[in-house]
Amino acid sequence: MKVHSKPSVFYILILSICLISISFELEAQDLYSGVVIDENSSPIIGASVFLKNSTIGTQTDFNGKFNLKAEISDTIVITYIGFKDQEFNLTYEKDLGIITLIENIDELNEVVVVGYGNQIKEILTSSVSSVKGDDLTIEPIINANQALQGKAAGVQIIASDAPGAGSQVIIRGLGTIQGGREPLYVVDGILTNNINNINTSDIETISILKDAASLAIYGNRGANGVVIVSTKKGHEGKFSINANSSFGFRNISKKTLMADTNSFVTFSNEAIFWNLLSDSNPYNDNSLSYFFPTNQLYNTNWIEEISQLGIITNYNISASGGQNDIKSFTSFSLNQEEGILIGNDFERATFRSNINFKVSNKIDYSHNISIQLANTTPKSFGVFTSAYKQSPIIPVRDENGRYGSSIAFNNVANPVAQLDLQNERQRYLKLQGSFKLDYKIIKPLVLTSRFSIETNYNRFYNFDNRLATFLSLEPGNTVNNFQPTDPDSPEIPENILSVSHNNDYRWFFDNYLTYNKTFIEKHNIDVTLGIVAEANKYESLFGSRINVPEDSNLNFNLNLGNNDDGTEESGGGFSEERKLYSYISRLNYVYNNKYIFNASYRRDSANFFTKKYRHGNFFAFSTGWLMSEEDFMENSSFDKLKFRVSYGELGNSQIPRLNIVRFNQGFPYPFGPGQNIQQGGTITATIQEDLSWETTCEYNFGFEFSLLNYKLNGEVDLYKKINENAILPIELPDTFGFDSFLSHIGEISNRGVELSINWNDKLNDNFFYSIESNIAYNKNELSKISNQFFANQIGGGINNGQYTKKVSLGQPLGSFFLYKVAGIDDKGQFVYKDFNGDQEINEEDRRFFGSFIPSITAASNFKIEFENFDFNLNVYGSFDNKVYNGKKAQRFGNENIEKYVFNNRWTTARPSNTTPRASNSIPLSSNYFLESGDFLRINNITIGYTFESTKSKIFKKIRTYATAKNPLMFKRFSGFTPELPGSPLGLAGIELDAYPTLSSYFLGVNLLF
Amino acid sequence: MKKSFNKSVFYFLITLLVIHFSCTDKFLEISANEITIDGITSEQAIELVNSTYNILLSWQVSSFSWNAITSISSDDADKGSDPGDTGADKHLFDILAHDATSISVAEVWEGHYKGIQRANQAINRIKLFEDLDYELKIRLIGEAKFLRALFYFRLLQTYGGVPIINETPDINSPIEVLLRRASKVEVFEFIENDLIESINVLPEKSEYPDNQLGRATKGAAKALLAKVSMYQNKWETVLELTSEVIKSGEYNLTPNYEDIWREIGENNQESIFEVQAKGELPSVGVDQYSLTQGARGEGGWGWGFNVPSENLLNSYDPNDLRKDATIIFRGETLYDGRFVPETVVNPMYNQKAYSSAFTDYQQTGKNIRILRYAEVLLMNAEAASQLGGDVSGPLNQVRNRAGLESIINPSQFDVWNERRWELAFEHDRYFDLVRQGRAETILQSLGIPFVAGKHELFPIPNVQIDLSDGILQQNPGW
Repeated sequence: MKVHSKPSVFYILILSICLISISFELEAQDLYSGVVIDENSSPIIGASVFLKNSTIGTQTDFNGKFNLKAEISDTIVITYIGFKDQEFNLTYEKDLGIITLIENIDELNEVVVVGYGNQIKEILTSSVSSVKGDDLTIEPIINANQALQGKAAGVQIIASDAPGAGSQVIIRGLGTIQGGREPLYVVDGILTNNINNINTSDIETISILKDAASLAIYGNRGANGVVIVSTKKGHEGKFSINANSSFGFRNISKKTLMADTNSFVTFSNEAIFWNLLSDSNPYNDNSLSYFFPTNQLYNTNWIEEISQLGIITNYNISASGGQNDIKSFTSFSLNQEEGILIGNDFERATFRSNINFKVSNKIDYSHNISIQLANTTPKSFGVFTSAYKQSPIIPVRDENGRYGSSIAFNNVANPVAQLDLQNERQRYLKLQGSFKLDYKIIKPLVLTSRFSIETNYNRFYNFDNRLATFLSLEPGNTVNNFQPTDPDSPEIPENILSVSHNNDYRWFFDNYLTYNKTFIEKHNIDVTLGIVAEANKYESLFGSRINVPEDSNLNFNLNLGNNDDGTEESGGGFSEERKLYSYISRLNYVYNNKYIFNASYRRDSANFFTKKYRHGNFFAFSTGWLMSEEDFMENSSFDKLKFRVSYGELGNSQIPRLNIVRFNQGFPYPFGPGQNIQQGGTITATIQEDLSWETTCEYNFGFEFSLLNYKLNGEVDLYKKINENAILPIELPDTFGFDSFLSHIGEISNRGVELSINWNDKLNDNFFYSIESNIAYNKNELSKISNQFFANQIGGGINNGQYTKKVSLGQPLGSFFLYKVAGIDDKGQFVYKDFNGDQEINEEDRRFFGSFIPSITAASNFKIEFENFDFNLNVYGSFDNKVYNGKKAQRFGNENIEKYVFNNRWTTARPSNTTPRASNSIPLSSNYFLESGDFLRINNITIGYTFESTKSKIFKKIRTYATAKNPLMFKRFSGFTPELPGSPLGLAGIELDAYPTLSSYFLGVNLLF
Repeated sequence: MKKSFNKSVFYFLITLLVIHFSCTDKFLEISANEITIDGITSEQAIELVNSTYNILLSWQVSSFSWNAITSISSDDADKGSDPGDTGADKHLFDILAHDATSISVAEVWEGHYKGIQRANQAINRIKLFEDLDYELKIRLIGEAKFLRALFYFRLLQTYGGVPIINETPDINSPIEVLLRRASKVEVFEFIENDLIESINVLPEKSEYPDNQLGRATKGAAKALLAKVSMYQNKWETVLELTSEVIKSGEYNLTPNYEDIWREIGENNQESIFEVQAKGELPSVGVDQYSLTQGARGEGGWGWGFNVPSENLLNSYDPNDLRKDATIIFRGETLYDGRFVPETVVNPMYNQKAYSSAFTDYQQTGKNIRILRYAEVLLMNAEAASQLGGDVSGPLNQVRNRAGLESIINPSQFDVWNERRWELAFEHDRYFDLVRQGRAETILQSLGIPFVAGKHELFPIPNVQIDLSDGILQQNPGW
């Protein structure tokens, strides 16, 4: 066995901690004992129990129990942060029984879940937003991270209303372009990629870790922020059953008005006429120059043809309770959605079992197990684009029952045919289980050992009916002309059935010690030390068969036919394995409940970087001053005033597979008279050996205050977050001979301010109200590039040869890089600004017009509880960004146009200086299509009424409610939605093939048995 | 108390030890599930060389851009296609109005350096494979060196002296190494060294197993070295090497000139080196070589670029069989029975790029003939005309095959004319005119504004110069 120097240091540390604890075991005369609980009968762990005017004391254990040797003349003081102190003059009764501590003011002294432990909000020196599960379930929400929108300052959530879709979460700005941009999610200790599988009703709390001080313990995965989800535990006492059901319908919030048949014909004929006039090339194929007759048969409204009223039904039932040593929480939920896009359905079932079992006084066991099953029938959102562009003169189906086709004059598919012919299914199974053992070695020292697994088993089925697609394309297409006439050409398969199975399996083994003790009344130490290991294996298998019997698509069975009958089968697969091994540590020291110091450190070793560069060290320091605890503040109006500062370094290891240079075998060559293909392979790429995680440094300064007896609470944070070695592509001169590669050559900075202010007041027992508001500003910039061979990355292509975005020094990521429309000339055409004055409009004349990333996000939440009524209103807005109307810009010719464009177009009789003439040429990507992304919307209005019954034997409580989600949206963008998720160099901020924003209305009932 | 504490700590430490030692560095080691750069062994030696051949199939090296430089720029060919379809920059090459930003000069540069990189990798890696059969090892290195020489020769023809890269560069390679241009002489020397080594180690065509047909041979290396020597006026070497190839008995003329470019003519007795292209699915062919040059318009099968010029048409002797074998005429019926309707856009197309079976395939099945026996005969004749010797023998073999009378006392001009007719559209004409010192006279007489001192070479791509911090120097006049 090898001896490692680092681990031995580690053991010495642990030993010394043990020794320190022994030295504080003190002798005394009588053993007094008691149990300290809170008002909800939950034990208070770690409350200080000490003799008044002495340094002798102890702490309550995991069950709130304490034993303290004392004399009868002593006074025992019990204190716990956030609770009122209690004193006991001792008597001969040694058992002090159950002692209930009264919370100082409940909302404020919550325990916040942080990485590998909990901390009390009051002494937290980092920036953590926490959201209670109860606040998430006021309204029906299937996807938990959608519920977070607007709940925490500095957390931008780009929602998608598509069935089953998750939301894109960006915490404190985009810090990377090549790497993964999503935060890390931690569900009951399991590190995972999303929380789409979590039933919102199962959530106890969500903590959003935002600054380095809180994130460093997640080391290589901390840079994008961490969202920690803790699920509910069984509560003490009799079983109670909670059943919820809701029903809702959804519709597109705002439909863009399209031109009707008459307008389309007029517009297109003008465009064709203009083409003829302006085309001086006699060789040009002018087959497009056919005019549309004015007596059209149809006037199809495509958006109406592809969409319907969406319907959602949710059921959720949970049982919670426990006796003696076992407590359990069990839940089951079912969500079904019929999407607004016809056939785009989603259903999900979740099951959860959380058990806490007190094995002995020293050992607690718990497990959290969840299962999610989800089925979807996906439909391409490109149908929205087709519906926008398809001409109204085309029928859904013609008089012969065949799909209407526009192949004669444009290249837009029949949207209904597109929907009908997409025959796809996706099935998801996600299992998460964490099994945890807490072993109290000696009183304040606890060893936690947790083994968790997560497995995603996803299956994708697709039946590509090429023959049917071919027939739908053109009226003249028949089964007979499907196959190419050229006998040399290979036969085209009539259909392809493909199935793919993907399995992502990971396990985690976490072992850590926590030690929390108060010495001499004033010194509180909280230490966490541990080793965590994880492994992740991804495997994918896929197979396909061609020319299967038509009806086999029903069950996606690959096993039909054999290779002799022309139903050729083929398949493949791949796998990838990642492993991580890490040391974690954190020290929190509080002096006199006033001065707080916190340090954390994580060392990661990862197999997916080259050996020399596989180790990463991440750390953070933070310090806080609870000024309101100072004597001189005694008479101030501040109930709480705290300042905190932190600095730390974080990593982002979610970078593309980099440090493996594959032997690329894609270069065959035929040899011999029979031209037999021989395999050829080479190395086409190169890497930088030192490619590893991106490192982000973050400074944070914050202060928190409470005034007017905790009615007014606020928190302000200022931060500067710099990704020092951002990965960007490099393209060396051609003589290098290799493809472009990635290297640490950039610096991306995010600076910002976050402010949240809450007001809550209880006027009397029957009336409570609160207003919670937050606003955040973030400035994003690619602040440095350290290599001259940086390959200027362009992106945001809209599939008509036009790109819209560019990554460039000094600009925010996701900046639009476009031509500027200077006006409309006397022929009704765009005049572009010739910035460099060379009399030519070319690449040199593009300029930056801002980014799709908003710099300001804000939200407000109003809550009123009046007698049995509850009312909740949530407003969310996002400002100072741009969105590109990609579906409008993606023109080739003879597509439909918006009513507005038709009505305002330039004509000789009515020159316009804003809207050009009818034309069929591909427009350059210009700021004409760029619009403001600002929006403000009513996220949610909920009114509920609760019947409380003491008489009924069945129900304890019944709450009925009505919710309107997104009933009203104020936006400047003319498209379907300004919320456009995607990759920064892809379609993020571009409305092309995007899912519209929906308005939804729900009725629901919660029953408590 | 103390005892139980000790016990606890003991158990705890045991647990930690178990955890720790089960998770040492070994934990992080996983076995590779694919071949990575570290896993390349002698088993991949052949693949490394095959991938170097593979670059000959690429768009940049053999297809559209290469035609712009070698053919469209010359008096043999016009841009063709629809007048409005420029092919990005092909219309500029037709009138020598291209410049350093033209995409064709950038693609040819890029593609050939990619090929050089693959050759370098093959050579430098195979050298180190100690367990590789010695015969195979030297042959493979010889093949890669032949290909590397071919790439450098074509760069030299196009751009003059270029940076010489003979190691596998890594990202720390100094930019000086990557971008400092070597002199023409240095590049010639480099090419010659590669070819001499190839000649020494490569087998003759007949010595290869049948299923390896298409690999570089001793004869190919000799023929290429002869051609390289011809560009330096090393006539003795040209004469010596071509004579050796002729005497080797490995090659002979195809009786019917037209057959050379048919499927049946691939790798026949006249073939010395050709790009192997398979059009049949799964295809491994030259990227759009036939497609870009196929007849355009209704009844056509391609884009219609790189078409024979009037000047070429009129230069042929009426009896020359090569005229009809080189040119597809609008309205004619081709050897495979295909009728070329009057509706196609251009009156003539390049028949040497026509692939009968895989006409409009992306990956064409056409083998591109790089070196053939007829050219060896013509080089032999040209050297003989320089040094004094038998010019008419080799020259008239070529003429007679084409259905022409023998020339009794041929001059250098006769050899040069013969080269034009024999090798039209074989990527040689522009370079030949420059080599022969006639480019200015001939092209200017046709109204093509050839500028002496400038157009002998093509410009180095502008983008590459911009990247080089002034190290990579542009050619004069550009």
